[in-house]
Amino acid sequence: MPFNQKPQKFNAKINTVTIGSGDKTVSIGGNSTFPFYSFDAPTANTAKVGVEISDMGLEGASEGIKAYYEGATTMAEIAQKAAAMEGADFVALVLEGGDPNGENKSVEELIAIVKEVADAVDCPLVVEGCKNVEKDAELLPKVAEVLQGRNVLILSEKEENYKAIGAAAGLAYNQIVGAESAVDINLAKQLNVVTTQLGVNAQKIVMNVGSACAGYGYEYVVSTMDRIKGAALGQNDNMLQMPIITPVASETWGVKEASASEADMPEWGPQDERGIDMEIMTAAADLAAGSDAVILRHPQSVATISKMIKALA
Amino acid sequence: MFKVTFAFEDGSVVETYANAGDNLLEIAREANVAIDAPCSGNASCGKCRVQLKGGELNSKKTLHIADEEYNNGWRLACVSTVCADVTVLVPDIASAYKSRMKVADLSSKEEIAIFEKAKREIELTGIMLNNSLDVVEVTMDPPSLDDTMPDNERLTRALRKFLNIKRVRIPYAVLKKLPDVMRDNNYQVKCILRTTPNDMFVYDIYGMSEDVVVCGLAVDIGTTTVSAVIINMENGEILAKGSAGNGQIRYGADVINRIIEQQKPGGKKKLQDAVIKETINPMIREMCKSAGISRNQIYRMCVASNTTMNHLFAGINADPLRMEPYIPAFFKTNSLFASDVGIDINQDAHIIVAPNIGSYVGGDITAGTLVSMIWNRPEFSLFIDLGTNGELVFGNSDFMMSCACSAGPAFEGGDISCGMRATDGAIEACTIDKETMEPTYKIVGEPGTKPIGLCGSGIIDVISELFITGIINPKGKFVREGRRVKHDEYGMGSYVLAFEEEAGSVKDVEITEVDIDNFIRAKGAIFSAIRTMLSSLDFDVSMIDDVYVAGGIGSGINMKNAVNIGMFPDIPLDKFHYIGNSSLTGAYLMLLSTKAEQKTYELASNMTYLELSTVPTYMDEFVGACFIPHTDTTLFPDVMELLNQ
Repeated sequence: MPFNQKPQKFNAKINTVTIGSGDKTVSIGGNSTFPFYSFDAPTANTAKVGVEISDMGLEGASEGIKAYYEGATTMAEIAQKAAAMEGADFVALVLEGGDPNGENKSVEELIAIVKEVADAVDCPLVVEGCKNVEKDAELLPKVAEVLQGRNVLILSEKEENYKAIGAAAGLAYNQIVGAESAVDINLAKQLNVVTTQLGVNAQKIVMNVGSACAGYGYEYVVSTMDRIKGAALGQNDNMLQMPIITPVASETWGVKEASASEADMPEWGPQDERGIDMEIMTAAADLAAGSDAVILRHPQSVATISKMIKALA
Repeated sequence: MFKVTFAFEDGSVVETYANAGDNLLEIAREANVAIDAPCSGNASCGKCRVQLKGGELNSKKTLHIADEEYNNGWRLACVSTVCADVTVLVPDIASAYKSRMKVADLSSKEEIAIFEKAKREIELTGIMLNNSLDVVEVTMDPPSLDDTMPDNERLTRALRKFLNIKRVRIPYAVLKKLPDVMRDNNYQVKCILRTTPNDMFVYDIYGMSEDVVVCGLAVDIGTTTVSAVIINMENGEILAKGSAGNGQIRYGADVINRIIEQQKPGGKKKLQDAVIKETINPMIREMCKSAGISRNQIYRMCVASNTTMNHLFAGINADPLRMEPYIPAFFKTNSLFASDVGIDINQDAHIIVAPNIGSYVGGDITAGTLVSMIWNRPEFSLFIDLGTNGELVFGNSDFMMSCACSAGPAFEGGDISCGMRATDGAIEACTIDKETMEPTYKIVGEPGTKPIGLCGSGIIDVISELFITGIINPKGKFVREGRRVKHDEYGMGSYVLAFEEEAGSVKDVEITEVDIDNFIRAKGAIFSAIRTMLSSLDFDVSMIDDVYVAGGIGSGINMKNAVNIGMFPDIPLDKFHYIGNSSLTGAYLMLLSTKAEQKTYELASNMTYLELSTVPTYMDEFVGACFIPHTDTTLFPDVMELLNQ
């Protein structure tokens, strides 16, 4: 009996969100199939890969990453190298130095870095806050303000600070709002509902539904993303049709498999390789579960994942 | 030793003595001064506020007292210790829970109607409304020098002849009366008997001419409120009805805190005394007075309560109830007598306990199930008891399933900053004007009573109105601004129902985002339990034919508003019925009818218990339900239509 393919058709699709302005933009979402199911319907936009850089420069970065950025001393130079990385679609600047429990850099100091990076590159930009809800509520509206016209993705508003960040990024300065929730389909939807009720256009929201490093309770991430895509496509739930972006690097480079030095763990092999492995494994799994974009650090991870996306498209 | 004076707003005072370093809340408990401390004195609820009026007090400052309030003398009793003579004011809001004991010789028509209806419905199912208590008249030959049988044997023989039962038991209390009653009445007496096929038990003996009423006592012991009726065991007539706050409240608002408290040395006795000596016995005295009967005429008692309450009532260690694998000491017991627990009725009276089904589904539910009659109908009914624990029973004449979810004390006003039980000064109903955002409310008590706080039905109304008028978003956060919307220094919003000058209290009556959040969790627990239980049976809410709502949330509950906030499923409102305190009504039926008692045991053993914590989707349902009305708006089409208007 000949094989008779029955495509799984949905009468719904994920919103297309375009990040960036001018000639260099990148679009994510727009598909009406499960991830990589290009045999069911043509893929509108393939998944995208961003390169993460930090306001803390190369402090704490792995040897391989440092080697790639060798010679770059200013944030502008680091950003340019990141944008030029093979397979990179956009640059993601993390303002981790703003954390009150860490460096506690002032908003002014961080905004100067944001401007420096934005002026140095013309690729699409994602700006991430420091994860502290109060500081982000102060910092991210300023970021949205100074980057007016660049159509950047602001990561991210949470339930606790969605009013300040959502209103600034989504209403006042017409940027793209990243909505972050903690690995739960209901919480993700609830944040989208209250954000749109604030007046933010649903087409200008991208979700970060939370992640984990593979092996660290990662099953929850898979089932959450899978169920979100299922509800968005199968039930045409327009409060879950926002594309998903997943910051992978910040999860994977912190676990002991990536951070333990070779001197401490000789039997585990070279540290850089382990970090790359964790980053690639997690990113591949995120993409297969439903992420429309991932954010990575290591040039080798970026190259590998973008190659995988092309191969499966 | 220092002198500690507790002053009340009505001018009365209680004085006691304490050592330096003694905790003020403990001193209050020992002096029987009621200060509401739902968190059991952990400084986490902020309800045990007192005001320093004179002398000194060592107090820690907590988040619950603002600087200005601290300067005005406000302290939390649980973090205050004595260091000198001191006088503190105990405000009404702290003692408001201790609802004044209410006794009525004949209850209101509506309340009588509930019992009459239950009686009628039970009779229609073929269950006879009689019990094993009887009054029999006995005439004996007087003794003589030729007939020297002792008094007890004389009575035994006469009763044997009369009823043809061999075994007759005469307790000490009757033996003591026997010589006088027999001689004073010329050997013509009336006996109060309990007869079974094997034996008879003589509860009491009276002269033939005396008018004797055989009484029974039905009690519902709620975690928050205790209510009771005294009835005529012959015809079920209600002779008196009373209710009072459960005296155990000062040891914590929920069952877990009380279980912890009873584990402390002497704790079991303390908690048993609090419910029996301080709550039920005074009620019995008052009710007997109003019914014109003697306490000794109460020959049987029936208790319906949750599993923890019946354990604490019986003075039995309840600790295993809260620890895995959650095993109670009994589901069903018939070994409890008045003299065992110190209940002030005939000391030989037997105490019937409505059977438990599990640690968290107790006799209040089995008794309530009996009353709801869901076991006698082919239609599918849902029975919901809204209490500190929400309990559900779903089924029909073929099957029944029960489950319990922890709703927290929010329905009865706990965990809500201005929450209170439905006593005087509680806002029980509310509407809010969409344009002006001004509230209109109904207050429990005499006309002119000033608002002190919110009871369960009032909270449902306020949250529903705030949501429908767009003042709060589905997460319960404030999104409109106005005169009545305030924000504190941390940005937390609140809605003022009554400003200090309009209120009968020392501060604004308001509902905060934290309160709303607590309530959303309580309603989310109920709704997700309904959905989880139904889906475990492959049912959905559209298949429910009737919903019976019971519990102390109050007859004022507005079903439409309860649906609006997503507490109950969005089904036609005429399917909802409020059946009042079904636990008490059930206890009444079990007391009156031995067959109904047996039926309840049968129901309890036939009911399936679903442990929600073992259902993997429950948590997911719960998070989805913690949103107004629900994350999945397709479950609430009518509410969404209302919002779109």
